[in-house]
Amino acid sequence: MGYASKSPWVIHYDASSCNGCDIEVLAALCPGYDVERFGIINTGNPKHADIFLVTGSVNERNISVVKQIYDQMVEPKVVVACGICACTGGIFHDCYNVIGGVDKAIPVDVYAPGCAVRPEAIIDAVVQALGILEEKSKALAEKKKGA
Amino acid sequence: MQLIAFLILFPLVVAALLLVVKGDGLRNVLVGVSAVVIAAASILLAAQYLGAAWVGFEFSSQAVDYLACAVGVAISVAVIGFGMKYKNYFAVGLAIVQLVGDLVFEFGFAHAAHVEVGLYVDSLSIVMALIIGIIGSGICVYALGYMIDFQKHLDEHGEGMTELQRKDRRPTFFALMFLFLSAMYVIVFSNNMVWMFTGWEVTTVCSFLLIAYTRTDEAIANAFRQIIMNMLGGIGFLAALYFAVVFTGTLSFQDFVLFGLGSPWLVAVPVCLLAFAGLTKAAQMPFHTWLLGAMVAPTPTSALLHSSTMVKAGVFLLIKLAPLFGVCMVASQMTILVGGITFMLCSFMAISQSNAKRVLAYSTIANLGLIVACAGVGTPEAIWAAVLLVIFHAAAKSLLFLCVGTAEHHIGSRDIEDMDLLFDRMPRLARFMMLGIMCMFIAPFGMLIAKWATLVSFVDSHQMALVLLLAFGSAATFMFWGKWLGKLAGIAGSPENVETTVHASEWVSLALMACIALVACIALPIMSSALVEPYIVSVFGQLGEDIAVDNLWISSILAAFVIVVFVAGARGSKAKRADVYLAGVSVDSDHRIFRNSLSGETEATSRNLYLDGIFGEGIVRRPGEVICAVIIVVAIVASGIVPPVLL
Amino acid sequence: MSFITTLIGTVAFAVLAPIVGCLLAGLDRIISARMQGRVGPPLLQPYYDVRKLIAKDDVTVSGVDGVYMTAALVFTAFAGGIFFSGGNLLMSAFVITMAALFFIMAAYSSRSPYSELGAGRETLQVMSYEPMVLLMAVCFYMAAGSFNVRDVFGLPAPVIFATLPAFIGFLFILTIKLRKSPFDLSTSHHAHQELVRGTTTEMSGKTLAKVEVMHWCENVLFLGWTALFFLWGGPASLVLGVVVALAAWFFEILIDNNFARVKWQFMLRSAWVMALVCGGINIVVLMVA
Repeated sequence: MGYASKSPWVIHYDASSCNGCDIEVLAALCPGYDVERFGIINTGNPKHADIFLVTGSVNERNISVVKQIYDQMVEPKVVVACGICACTGGIFHDCYNVIGGVDKAIPVDVYAPGCAVRPEAIIDAVVQALGILEEKSKALAEKKKGA
Repeated sequence: MQLIAFLILFPLVVAALLLVVKGDGLRNVLVGVSAVVIAAASILLAAQYLGAAWVGFEFSSQAVDYLACAVGVAISVAVIGFGMKYKNYFAVGLAIVQLVGDLVFEFGFAHAAHVEVGLYVDSLSIVMALIIGIIGSGICVYALGYMIDFQKHLDEHGEGMTELQRKDRRPTFFALMFLFLSAMYVIVFSNNMVWMFTGWEVTTVCSFLLIAYTRTDEAIANAFRQIIMNMLGGIGFLAALYFAVVFTGTLSFQDFVLFGLGSPWLVAVPVCLLAFAGLTKAAQMPFHTWLLGAMVAPTPTSALLHSSTMVKAGVFLLIKLAPLFGVCMVASQMTILVGGITFMLCSFMAISQSNAKRVLAYSTIANLGLIVACAGVGTPEAIWAAVLLVIFHAAAKSLLFLCVGTAEHHIGSRDIEDMDLLFDRMPRLARFMMLGIMCMFIAPFGMLIAKWATLVSFVDSHQMALVLLLAFGSAATFMFWGKWLGKLAGIAGSPENVETTVHASEWVSLALMACIALVACIALPIMSSALVEPYIVSVFGQLGEDIAVDNLWISSILAAFVIVVFVAGARGSKAKRADVYLAGVSVDSDHRIFRNSLSGETEATSRNLYLDGIFGEGIVRRPGEVICAVIIVVAIVASGIVPPVLL
Repeated sequence: MSFITTLIGTVAFAVLAPIVGCLLAGLDRIISARMQGRVGPPLLQPYYDVRKLIAKDDVTVSGVDGVYMTAALVFTAFAGGIFFSGGNLLMSAFVITMAALFFIMAAYSSRSPYSELGAGRETLQVMSYEPMVLLMAVCFYMAAGSFNVRDVFGLPAPVIFATLPAFIGFLFILTIKLRKSPFDLSTSHHAHQELVRGTTTEMSGKTLAKVEVMHWCENVLFLGWTALFFLWGGPASLVLGVVVALAAWFFEILIDNNFARVKWQFMLRSAWVMALVCGGINIVVLMVA
């Protein structure tokens, strides 16, 4: 197992969520769940983060912000859509201003549904994301060697 | 001997020629060639007497004595003239005092003491000669290009000015610069104290005329402040001459020092007065404002001539007095305290300044304070540190002044906040500037090594107050240099390069200064043993417990490493470029513009910390001036009272 | 002779200090977790973090921050080498300041508002602790009769008996030097803060890895300075030194976990007052004695 999956640093962004999922994301990061056991640390900074936790259905106002944060994260990186709104748009899916899911803006690797998404589900999703992170890391190493 | 005469007379001849030369081309050639000649002669002199102890030359001449007196009278008369013209009667009063003092001294006292050995050379005067010859004349070369820009600016933007202010007076300007060099040589080579005094006064008046060059109200006011403060010092010097003649019966500096070592109570007052003269020239508190005034005056090149050269005359005198400080406690304590307090407080005030010239001015005063304090301590270690500080300060500071001058002409500001992105806009200049800044304050460069030796000598001589002053002052130094350096280091996408219009003569002198600073840093161990140690041995008969040579070599290697980082490393990597993070959507990351919550565009700005509420001039200046003034007055009075009491 | 020793010491420090520092950092995180009622990460977590950072893609804002950080790292190694090979304490203190300067320049070079603010605060931090560091070295010199670290092994008793005030002052600023709360103004290891990540906001990948390694080495060096007060010619000297260093480390972690960050005004004033009082008293006592 490589090092990419042993030290996943996350960044969290609220893309027009009702705040229900945000509370759960923060709950998951609280000492009670002790995600630092897996090396998970919440950074407030895309330049340092490996995993992008997005909540909310993403609307026209913040789609560019989501894209920018994603662009500023350094490869290898993984996106986790937290909550049903982030996955599909949820109850807001036919709202006039909502684009309906994070994957309409940026590539999403893991979907964690729920309204609101449970901390356990988020942790599971992040752990699942680690496998993808690992693969991407290997691909990047190959590319670096090739170049 | 011939070489010394040449060094004193040649700049005089050049100055006279420059007065009549009107064309730019001819002036460029004349200044360029004579600068090289002066530098070469200085190096030749250094090579000839390298490592030599004190070498005196029997030279005395009635004619030169009268000439010295005549120069003194002429200076006083000139100052009286200017004082009347600009209605500055305090300056007139001082000049009259000096005029009378001069004449009475010449015809009543001077001939009682005959000086056989008029001129001399030792390692300290070699160091000074090299500084004057290489850095001083380098500055003259730099001024060529600079003054062309300056005059052009006057011609284009001088609508509101008077005829006098707009007139092209560059011949006078360059003549004064060379006259100044000559006077500096007189100071460092004269054993006859009267001649030394004459050189001293000539530098004062040269600098007066240079500061007043543009004839604006601000320039005139600053020039008068300069001359009043320095004439106070000059009168102190003159009074010391009276005491010397009356009490010691000699006007030879060497004999004066020897006499003083034997009977310190007789020289207590003249030493104190000479130290006072040194303090005014070295712009120590409360006399520091003249140097600040000279900095903001609109003749920057001459301002830097003061800072790197003229103020060195003050510390030169103090270092020469160092052996006497060992026996004259009052004068020694005065020098130590004024120097130490000036170092700390001026470092504090430098934090609160965003004007690059003022930062440089304050740091100049602060460094001089350190040198002054070292001279006051007067132990071999302290003098070792003082001489090295003189060398490094001259090299690094003139580099910085030249950089700021050039930057000001090309980015139109001398504010440090406006030097943002200089690393991109003027890549070569920014590197020179960063080098100069690093030389000023950080290990492994020479300046810090010297500071270290200072600290050790303060501890060894049990100067508790000085250790504290140095500790806090040094910390402040880190702050004001560090944030300036940081401002320079910023890099954005691809701003335009505005460096292409810098004059070749400016590049030549910039590169020269940078080379000197570098060589001085890397060759520190060699310089210490070839230039500084012979002086210590010749004065004290022994070396102090210096910093081990190994440490010097370690720092020399580290210095070389930093230079490699800047020259080779800091070109930028080929890695992918990313935008800065602006916590939102960047619109233009080079200009740090992001989209705000109302979909408008906002530019992120940030300024450095200036901590004005803690270290502002308004808070620090007054107490410092008062304390230092009290110290000086008390010391001079005490030195007159204490010795008889002890007797 | 001592010149060669310094070079060997530097190489040895460059190899060993990251190992020790990494373990210390891991220990820090476990102890902090236990203080908060958590299990915490594995001991080698800091190592995993750095390995991950090295494997990340190379991206830079300014293009020169990596070079500056390399310089900072080299200077840290030199400072450690000088100290642990028994060299000059003052020289070590000066060279580590040089490392701090390069770190500050790396932060400034990005022109990010967040890193600029962080860098400004970092210079403030340096200014806050510098007087006490100098006075600490001076007190050591007066008590031990030499700036050379190796000379402590010839002393009849540890210098702590003569330099207790200076040691207390040094412990105070050690918190700033180790970038621990309440003085982690420029960048913090904990969660995110108002400056995003302060000095390291724009650093990523290898450059950030260098920052981490530099912190490890710094920590080892500063704990070495702490231990220096307790070394003498006696037999248990080194053991006592290590124990004291670890105790100081634990103490700093305790403070880190129990205090909220303060404003810079408080940091500057308190650090200078400590320097003036502790350092001043100690120097006066040593000079009079």
